[in-house]
Amino acid sequence: MSSPFYEGLVLPDLVRQVSQENINKYAEASGDYNPIHINQEFAASTPLGGTIAHGMLVLAYISEMFSNTFGEHWDTTGNLSIRFRSPARPKDTLTVSSKVESVSEDDDIVCITCALSCHNQDDEVVVSGEARVRIPECR
Amino acid sequence: MPAGYDELTPGYEFPPVEYRLTAEVVAAYVEAVGATKHDHVPPLAVAAHAIGVLAELVEFPAGTIHASQEFQFTALVPVDTQVTCRAKVHRKLARGPMRMLTLDMEISDESEVLVQHGRSTVILPES
Repeated sequence: MSSPFYEGLVLPDLVRQVSQENINKYAEASGDYNPIHINQEFAASTPLGGTIAHGMLVLAYISEMFSNTFGEHWDTTGNLSIRFRSPARPKDTLTVSSKVESVSEDDDIVCITCALSCHNQDDEVVVSGEARVRIPECR
Repeated sequence: MPAGYDELTPGYEFPPVEYRLTAEVVAAYVEAVGATKHDHVPPLAVAAHAIGVLAELVEFPAGTIHASQEFQFTALVPVDTQVTCRAKVHRKLARGPMRMLTLDMEISDESEVLVQHGRSTVILPES
């Protein structure tokens, strides 16, 4: 066995609570002040009916989950491809889940492909996609 | 002067933008997302600021939302690195009232080493 990762392995979930306070902090930290995220009155007048979290805030949770699992290998070789399926709203509880779909070896590198999803407390899919990472083979 | 949707065409290149990922900038990001602290800049922090500066170059109407995203991370970014983001229009799509815009971006460090690249697709509200 050259890698602790194998097809079908379920990675540890990451759970995060979304709040308007977090969203506002993210707007300040990123410089993204789109009113759909921070202006209740404006957001209520749109088809979304209220403020939503920045997509990149949700992606930060997803990236953290992979960083927790793969460490710096994620930060130097990680590949993320996702679609936003439904909005994350204040007071949502988001769970990021992932399962290893395939593991292949190429010279001394192990290539791991994972299916990922992020869903809310009502089991609605907020984000779905795929992540890939390359790690050195363990000897 | 930010470019409007109608002015953008596939292949359009935005002027490169530089930004420094100082300890204060990174700390604010880490606190906002509740991430674990690292010795380097979280890759999504690098991307978040790239998208933030891109938003200043494009006149995104209020209500624009993120539809899909791709990233490839290629190198660690130490805190206090100055990075440069180069972005161009990959695709524009207008179907009925729906308008979509796909942007490609490449982010490199002070040594011109590519640290990540990505592709963002946004949906613009009806004008």
